[in-house]
Amino acid sequence: MSYLNNPAVVMDNGTGLTKLGFAGNDSPSWVFPTAIATAQSGKSQSSSNKSTGFGSSSANAQSSYLSGGGNSTSATDFNSLASSTLISNNLAGKRGTEDLDFYIGNEALVASQGPSYSLSYPIRHGQVENWDHMERFWENSIFKYLRTEPEDHFFLLTEPPLNPPENRQQVAEIFFESFNCAGLYIAVQAVLALAASWTSSKVTDRSLTGTVIDSGDGVTHVIPVAEGYVIGSAIKNIPIAGRDITLFIQSLLRERGEQDASLRTAERIKQEYCYVCPDIVKEFNKFDRDSEKFAQFIVENKERTTKKVVDVGYERFLAPEIFFNPEIASSDFLTPLPVVVDETIQACPIDVRKGLYNNIVLSGGSTMFKDFGRRLQRDLKGIVNDRISQSEKLSGTRSTGVDVSVISHKRQRNAVWFGGSLLAQTGEFKSYCHTKQDYEEYGPDIVRNFSLFNMI
Amino acid sequence: MLHLKPYNLLVQKTLTEALEAYNNGSPLTLDRIISDFDYTTLHITNDGTDKSNLLVSIRTKATQSCNESGNDLQGFLQAKFDEVPGLALSSAKKEAGYDFTITVDLSQITAQSIVQASLFKILVMSYPFYLAFGQSNALSQLNEIDQVEKSKEARAMVIKYRDDENIYIKPSFDRITVIFETIFQDETDKVFGKVFLQEFVDARKRNRSIQSAPQVLFSHEPPLEIQEVAQQHAHVAGAKKSTRRFITFVLFPRHYSSDELMFTSVSQLALFRNYFHYHIKCAKAYMHSRMRYRVDTFIKVLNRAKLDEETESDSRRTITGRKMVY
Amino acid sequence: MSQSLRPYLTAVRYSLQAALNLSNFSSQEVERHNRPEVEVDNTSAELLLQPMHIARNEHEQVLIEPSVNSVRMSIKVKQADEIEQILVHKFTSFLEQRAENFYVLRRVPVPGYSISFLITNKHTETMITEKLIEFIIDFMEEVDKEISEMKLFLNARARFAAEAYLEQFVY
Repeated sequence: MSYLNNPAVVMDNGTGLTKLGFAGNDSPSWVFPTAIATAQSGKSQSSSNKSTGFGSSSANAQSSYLSGGGNSTSATDFNSLASSTLISNNLAGKRGTEDLDFYIGNEALVASQGPSYSLSYPIRHGQVENWDHMERFWENSIFKYLRTEPEDHFFLLTEPPLNPPENRQQVAEIFFESFNCAGLYIAVQAVLALAASWTSSKVTDRSLTGTVIDSGDGVTHVIPVAEGYVIGSAIKNIPIAGRDITLFIQSLLRERGEQDASLRTAERIKQEYCYVCPDIVKEFNKFDRDSEKFAQFIVENKERTTKKVVDVGYERFLAPEIFFNPEIASSDFLTPLPVVVDETIQACPIDVRKGLYNNIVLSGGSTMFKDFGRRLQRDLKGIVNDRISQSEKLSGTRSTGVDVSVISHKRQRNAVWFGGSLLAQTGEFKSYCHTKQDYEEYGPDIVRNFSLFNMI
Repeated sequence: MLHLKPYNLLVQKTLTEALEAYNNGSPLTLDRIISDFDYTTLHITNDGTDKSNLLVSIRTKATQSCNESGNDLQGFLQAKFDEVPGLALSSAKKEAGYDFTITVDLSQITAQSIVQASLFKILVMSYPFYLAFGQSNALSQLNEIDQVEKSKEARAMVIKYRDDENIYIKPSFDRITVIFETIFQDETDKVFGKVFLQEFVDARKRNRSIQSAPQVLFSHEPPLEIQEVAQQHAHVAGAKKSTRRFITFVLFPRHYSSDELMFTSVSQLALFRNYFHYHIKCAKAYMHSRMRYRVDTFIKVLNRAKLDEETESDSRRTITGRKMVY
Repeated sequence: MSQSLRPYLTAVRYSLQAALNLSNFSSQEVERHNRPEVEVDNTSAELLLQPMHIARNEHEQVLIEPSVNSVRMSIKVKQADEIEQILVHKFTSFLEQRAENFYVLRRVPVPGYSISFLITNKHTETMITEKLIEFIIDFMEEVDKEISEMKLFLNARARFAAEAYLEQFVY
């Protein structure tokens, strides 16, 4: 069958952003919000723009791409798109076709600013909440954005750790019954993030044992994985993530009374200027001695007519610091990230702890700060060494020591997607998938088990 | 989304991004695989170290059969890409494993060129259609007796665009017959597909406003026009043969009277199969929503039957409020 | 509701009322087990009652198999043509997939029927029998309605898609 030559489709549907693309590529083809704008019932418009021929739609093609979602990497970065026009899908007001009248991704954000669409996010806390919306979200992803006939492609989807098997069955039901996809593999996000770290030069053996620190927009997870299996009981969450850092920067800007303290500006500053310092006190001194350290960020409006200058000061190192000293930003969560990581690993079986300390992998946009990995490694080493010396003192024996290593690599931002792309392009991938034939023979229960990739 | 667009959104986006980055002075390093319907893979890369040039390569199942119908697919595509600035079909730089490669000169391309590049697959598939348009126009110039005779002789062209599914195109002096051979893999699709195809046939009869659309016919056996050709390509196994259907579109001269109309007709026809498979899938998705809703209402009815966990009368409590256990 | 459906449903209702008279009954063969007697190959014929078979016509039938502690009820849903067959199959397997939420639904129908329910004494003890019967009657009505609505939808959608496609050729 010639679908063997077609690249597998890798889809990572996260709470905030969806990453879509083909196996073998180094980055996802589409990154847009996991949002869907559906037609509001009862508000049918009488639309006069009847079906236009190709002649006019060809001319609109350029703008349709723009509204079709610039490949923005930020969940809040849609304001720039608001002005671009949305191509009518010629469906407004036609009865009986409400289920075709919807937009996804950035187009959804644009559409929902109008009166006739309402916006919703089908994924909450990593898990699918609204299956109706999710099914249509996938439908549009496949046919409009990826332009694939699902019958010809294998699919790799991701799921959060501790996803109930019933959800997997629902996914299989949709992909095999609605879309007739050729084959399906559902992988746990943390495991894919581990696989993505294999591209780092620091990684010598391609093992699927390690601790994944996955920090996105809403929440940060610390997930231990042993031999490709997630140790569910030890997973810990931290309510500090990308959005909190942005809000923290915004509050600092407001306190100082900067000209522009919008969320967007704060986010740009976070992405472009922030870094992690080894020691805050020293860093404060450095700033006071050397005014070079202060930066300026210029905000232009869309027409590039007015300019606002925003000073960027201590927040450069202070903002990411909230991972390591949460008390500076939050009053209800006070445990620093290295301590949480240590607690997580200590909650795991003793046999895998060394492997978990040895291979701490970062994933997600909020781990992208410069020297984030280094600082984490140093702090964690301190905690571990203290414990070892204490136990040496108490027992009087010499310890062989524990190696702590934090791995950061270039693909961190879309690590989960990239890991999926890496696995799905291998020759063996298709043999790990469940195919449509398997599904028809055994029913949806089949997706409760997937064999793990054991790659060397 | 109602209609599938002929251009590939992802190619368009990638090229637009590359162009923007190039204009901003920081050209992208690209090595992307992009897919399209019907076993089509596109590959966008940098041309060696030269960041101002991109290569877009295509591999699609239809290429070979399209080329056989006229033997100058290369020249046809060349002409198509020469229409817009910055694109050129390059045989010297043809990537191994791909059928055609075009070079994209980022310093020259316009929005129009990007659209043209994103139509790559449609352009490949449109070649036999354009040949048929040409032949039909030529035939119509002949005198009345020759018209009929020569039209009978005209060979039907085949586009083998999927494993078991082909498109046949037969030009004649007053019409062009486009026949889709289609097979359903899935049992449900087969039944749903039948309903959809029947409606294609009936739609024109019922709805006055689309009277001028091509006539649509439906049959289980290869129509007469293509019986000979279909025999040659009939390698389909017996079991599948029973699910084989033929959908015939009869294009009249008004559907290919100008260049723009030709292109519109071709791009719609090339997407016919994808279009109705897409709608079958949408219908199934909608039914899933309905069934989810039904399940919820049934469960609500069933839950009404449940006894309340505790009714005051039959549970006795101690003075401290604990429940008595018998 | 059509004329003949009413008596059919009434017959099902009364038969169910008669059958749903269950008591807690321990297995006679395996110590300390309590199993639905209709479901096991039974050597003790005294535990099974005479099955009841109610047919409206060839396509719509109900089989009620009572026993001392459980009742198995199977419904054959009307399937006039190929499309309805597919739709009924899709719908029932969709329900069976979610059988956990339905308590009384059997994951696999009895051969020859579209969908089966298994009601045990546990169910009649925790649920109001009258309401349970109400649910099954409601189910039978709704399934027919749903199948014909889905069929109508499919036709309407096919028509819409076909017309929308051909509209593109109108110049």
